[in-house]
Amino acid sequence: MIVCVAVVGHQNNPLYIQSFTDADDALKLHHIVHCSLDVVDERVNNPKKSGSALNETFLGLLYPTENYKVYGYLTNTKVKFILVTTDLDVRDPDVRNFFRRFHAAYVDAVSNPFHVPGKKITSKTFAERVSNIVKSFGLNAAV
Amino acid sequence: MEDYPEEMRSPPVSLVSVAGCPDLHQTISTHLHSLQPPINTLALPDLSKISLLLAPNPKDDQSSIPDSAASAGILKRDWLLKHRTKIPAVVAALLSSDCVSGDPAQWLQLCSDLDNLKTVIRARNIRLVLVVVHSHSKGEFDQIGNVFDIDDITEDRMLALRKRAEIDSKYFITFSQNDETELKQSLHRLGSIFGELANIYYRDEGRRIKARIEKKSCSAVELQVRYCFKASLVAVYAEFRRDWVEAIRFYEDAYHTLREMIGTSTRLPAIQRLIEIKTVAEQVHFKISTLLLHGGKIIEAITWFRQHNASYRKVIGPPEAVFLHWEWMSRQFLVFAELLETSSGAIQSISSLIAGTIEKSLTEWEFRPANYYQLAAKYLKEKRSYLESAVSLSETFNDSDNSTDSVVPSLFVGQFARLIEQGNAFLMQPLTDDEYIHYAISEGKRFQDSIEIIALLKKSYESFSNFKVQRMAALCGFQMASEYYVVGDFSSAKQLFDGIANLYRQEGWVSLLWEVLGYLRECSRKQGQLKDFIEYSLEMAALPVSSDTGGVQYSRKECNPAGSASIEQKELIHKEVFELISGELSLTSLESNADLRVTGVNQLHLEIDLVSPLRVVLLASVVFHEHIVKPGSSTLITLSLLSQLPLTVEVDQLEVQFNQSACNFVVNSQRTLLDSANDDQQSQRVEAAPSLSLSQNRWLRLTYDIKSDQSGKLECISVIAKMGPHFTICCRAESPASMGDLPLWKFEDRVEAYPTKDRALAFTGQKATQVEEPDPQVNLNIDASGPAFVGESFVIPVTVASKGHAVHSGELKINLVDVRGGGLFSPRETEPITLDSHHVQLLGITGPEGEDESNLGADNIKKIQESFGLVSVPFLNSGDSWSCKLEIKWHRPKPVMLYASLGYSPDGNDSTAHIVNIHKSLQIEGKTAILINHQFMLPFRNDPLLPSKIKPVPDSDQLVTLPLSETSILVVSAKNCSDVPLQLISISVESDDDIGKLCSVQNSGDQSDPEPLVPGEEFKKVFSVKPKMNVSKLMLGSVRIKWRRYAGIGDQPGSAASLVFTDQRLPDVNLELSPLVVSLECPPYAVLGDPFTYYIKVRNQTQLLQELKLSLADAQSFVLSGSHNDAIYVLPKSEQIVGYKLVPLASGMQQLPRFTVTSTRYSSAFQPSSGESTIFVFPCKPHFNMTDVGDRTIESLAAAAE
Repeated sequence: MIVCVAVVGHQNNPLYIQSFTDADDALKLHHIVHCSLDVVDERVNNPKKSGSALNETFLGLLYPTENYKVYGYLTNTKVKFILVTTDLDVRDPDVRNFFRRFHAAYVDAVSNPFHVPGKKITSKTFAERVSNIVKSFGLNAAV
Repeated sequence: MEDYPEEMRSPPVSLVSVAGCPDLHQTISTHLHSLQPPINTLALPDLSKISLLLAPNPKDDQSSIPDSAASAGILKRDWLLKHRTKIPAVVAALLSSDCVSGDPAQWLQLCSDLDNLKTVIRARNIRLVLVVVHSHSKGEFDQIGNVFDIDDITEDRMLALRKRAEIDSKYFITFSQNDETELKQSLHRLGSIFGELANIYYRDEGRRIKARIEKKSCSAVELQVRYCFKASLVAVYAEFRRDWVEAIRFYEDAYHTLREMIGTSTRLPAIQRLIEIKTVAEQVHFKISTLLLHGGKIIEAITWFRQHNASYRKVIGPPEAVFLHWEWMSRQFLVFAELLETSSGAIQSISSLIAGTIEKSLTEWEFRPANYYQLAAKYLKEKRSYLESAVSLSETFNDSDNSTDSVVPSLFVGQFARLIEQGNAFLMQPLTDDEYIHYAISEGKRFQDSIEIIALLKKSYESFSNFKVQRMAALCGFQMASEYYVVGDFSSAKQLFDGIANLYRQEGWVSLLWEVLGYLRECSRKQGQLKDFIEYSLEMAALPVSSDTGGVQYSRKECNPAGSASIEQKELIHKEVFELISGELSLTSLESNADLRVTGVNQLHLEIDLVSPLRVVLLASVVFHEHIVKPGSSTLITLSLLSQLPLTVEVDQLEVQFNQSACNFVVNSQRTLLDSANDDQQSQRVEAAPSLSLSQNRWLRLTYDIKSDQSGKLECISVIAKMGPHFTICCRAESPASMGDLPLWKFEDRVEAYPTKDRALAFTGQKATQVEEPDPQVNLNIDASGPAFVGESFVIPVTVASKGHAVHSGELKINLVDVRGGGLFSPRETEPITLDSHHVQLLGITGPEGEDESNLGADNIKKIQESFGLVSVPFLNSGDSWSCKLEIKWHRPKPVMLYASLGYSPDGNDSTAHIVNIHKSLQIEGKTAILINHQFMLPFRNDPLLPSKIKPVPDSDQLVTLPLSETSILVVSAKNCSDVPLQLISISVESDDDIGKLCSVQNSGDQSDPEPLVPGEEFKKVFSVKPKMNVSKLMLGSVRIKWRRYAGIGDQPGSAASLVFTDQRLPDVNLELSPLVVSLECPPYAVLGDPFTYYIKVRNQTQLLQELKLSLADAQSFVLSGSHNDAIYVLPKSEQIVGYKLVPLASGMQQLPRFTVTSTRYSSAFQPSSGESTIFVFPCKPHFNMTDVGDRTIESLAAAAE
């Protein structure tokens, strides 16, 4: 189950962060997302270590905490997407697929002429769409 | 890791025992220890002592105890230690040769000792080595391996000895120590044999146990324990042999069996069973990790650890013992972190490792010990919280008895027992689970987990910081600081939180920042730091906590002391702060236990600068509506305040401060105006505003006019807001044009208004304006009438007229600048450095009429250079005027820019700040007034032959050639090329003194009353020049024209304009003696039909006879008598005259017959010009019936022609 997704801007500021848990661990998830930026930085600054293709946006597993797995994704405009999940065996293609759909949703959200680039995303449509994607991620993983 | 005993931490070392010959023990043990791998030595002074060491204790012996007893535990606590320090693999009996070859009594003793030894060691399979030591005194030595050739000891003895010991001959050696090499060799042999035997011993032991495992590989639960135990024994034996691979294999075997036992074993009470298994697992795991890391297999080690962690994390155990589980987990992480840290130095850099591990899904963090430290701390925290609940539980229904005192670790690893004293003996009694938990809780209470947690986090924090992993470090720091907070070390906590808050501020993580600020706020509350408390509270209240994230409710556990981030909470904080500020509330410090209040004594003043996080609380933008203002005239200034505090804030007073303190003013809100009316702020300007209330995200705009009398920059420094009687916020003023975004709020999707209503002003407005100099109220006039002429000293009057200002200490500066730029005033190198070097020269400045130079005071400055002048202007009252005249002389025609600047101070004091400057400039053209031309002519009908004309010499082309001793005519013309009429006074040729001897220049006459020369008119004057002496080059001097501007008819000459002399040098002339002079003579006119004579005279001026050819062409108007062609000879220094008689046939201007004279000697021909050979023919004899004068005129004309 995905417990948290986040969009992080250029200055490593959160543009959108949403947790999907009933438990009261939002702050902990915020900490996890924030710390994962360190790994993103490291991956981005030392691209050769990742061994991935030049234009690869999917950063892979950033770090496994005790209960969560954190995945990252870096768009070509250097906006970061972070995914925190409690599933311990996640297939990479699922995550990639999730990020692709999430990216599409993000692009649609920021293409809104009333959205000011660099500001938080407050669109309700975006939030709705994200929660749909999050829900369907669970389904895909089950299938 | 230090908690583990030494034998766990380091790889095992083989142990051998040497008995007998104590004097050799030191040497042998040192040698064995230095071997690779080292061997530890257990030294016994006597053979008989070995039985003490290995005192058969059959109950303890693993091999002999029954299975049921063995299954009481998994691993004996001291087993490893025993093998490392007590049970040798090899026993070496050192027998001195004296003993061996001694008397029968000695021999018997030896034999019995040997027998004893044998029985002792056989039970344990310990290998035996017999060493016969040769004493020094014998002085005999033998070859190595040639042990039987010793004359002392008979062969029989030796054989008997070997047989008795029942050993192979290989293990029966002699040890000689006679000299260094011998000793070395003996030691070496001893060492290799020991190594070999130890290896054999450990291998056999391992095999033996392995065989036993395989034999009994049934599925009985109890046997699993045994199996596990054996497997680890095998591994240890393998380790003794340094067979790491096998050791790891068996350890892993043991580990897996152990894991399976969790569900199946029923030996002990549940809790203790789990504890035991975990403890053993921990040790086995530790061994595996150590071995893996030692082998440099860091990736495998980490993977193994992950597996270890995964397989035991869920094995929490019964609820009352949960804290033990977390403690155990924490220890796992701590130990692994320490292992990783110690070994990571040895292995290659982490980054290179990571490169190959992506596919194994290991991430960067897992290579960092810091990560494990942090997790260890996390689990320790977990343990603490469970322990606390366990403690509170146990306290409620357990009255403390002393039963825990006697609990000690039992024989087996991970087991505890109660020690009961029964007489002299101690008895181990198993515990029940309740008793054990009780014991564990009381043990747990003794430790201060917080200190441990802080230490762990600190390690992690420092490590992450060193790697520049700042966010992770911040998280560790945050946890560490909150731990400090829990412990009560507020200053440490605050210091850490401050650093972390900076990171979160920078990156705009509001939720995290809220958390940190909440802690900081409480820290300062507890420390009684009022100012900090208010600052943090204000910042919290102004954080962009949006309503829709309010759905996130933090649990009580992780919530910070300030509550969860929500708008309601913000408002609460806001209210609390403002109650504090107004003095209604007080802050109770924990440390000093005093009430802190904002009072008159304890005033509070906050500074908000451009980088302060409190900018969100109050932002002051100040803009002047104009960039430049005149002094004394007022301009508008807009003061805009913005606050993001959730509730409306009432400001009582605003004080606006400028760099010119005279401009400072105070704005009072209407509300407080009445109260402060009696304040003695008379000196300062006080404005009133209807309301000074700031609501969230709305600019409060106030516009006032402002006036400055002082020129220079006027800048707004700060705006001080006063809220309540004792609280002020000083806010640094910011220009809207360069104002940075509000931190944190810039990411929010909010309505952004401009600080001023005028958009343009919001984009370009500045908080500073330039106050101009006061307007000069003095006129500076430069009058110039038309262009200046070269040569004249041109006078330019300059007038300073005061219109309103009195002129104090005025200074007039004059500057001449070339309009086109360039080297106007710099002398050219070719020109001599004279006054002429300046093409335009400032000659002088003369004061007004009647004022003499001597009248000027000593302090008056007057400095004149060629292009620069400085003159002081005397004091002028308002309305007065003063003028001076500039005299400027042009040497070349050039346009020139004249700059005049007047600086003065309008009031009497000499402060330079009030100097007013006026600048005027004027372009003045310098022109040539008179153009002088000249022309040389020969006398009429008189032509000397000039040889240079015939053969032109290249370099003399430029010069005019004049015949020597002949009179030539010089015509000088002066043309007025200016725009104004000029009066020509005289034209003269000025020659140097010595020229007079050489030639005579005569004026043809003088003008007595010169007429003005209108523009464009030309005046000519004729001079006759007669060179007298034969010089090749003659300098004729220069033409000097005296002129002046024509000032009208009525004017007296000389009064209006001074005379100007214009000189022009005449070019040098060549002089030449002409060999032949041809002149024509004919009457001035002719009458039709009247014959007249036309003479051609040729004068030979040479010493030679000249042959000339003369030819005459016919002319149709004349009848001619005389030969057409003739050759004549002219004698030296004589003249030949040829005459022709002519009768004119037509009247009017007629061309005389053209003649040509050709000189054969000079091969040159001469033909007079048509002008020379023209004559007017009257139709009849003219009758001049006028007066005599007419005749005379004609006669004189004719005479002149002659």
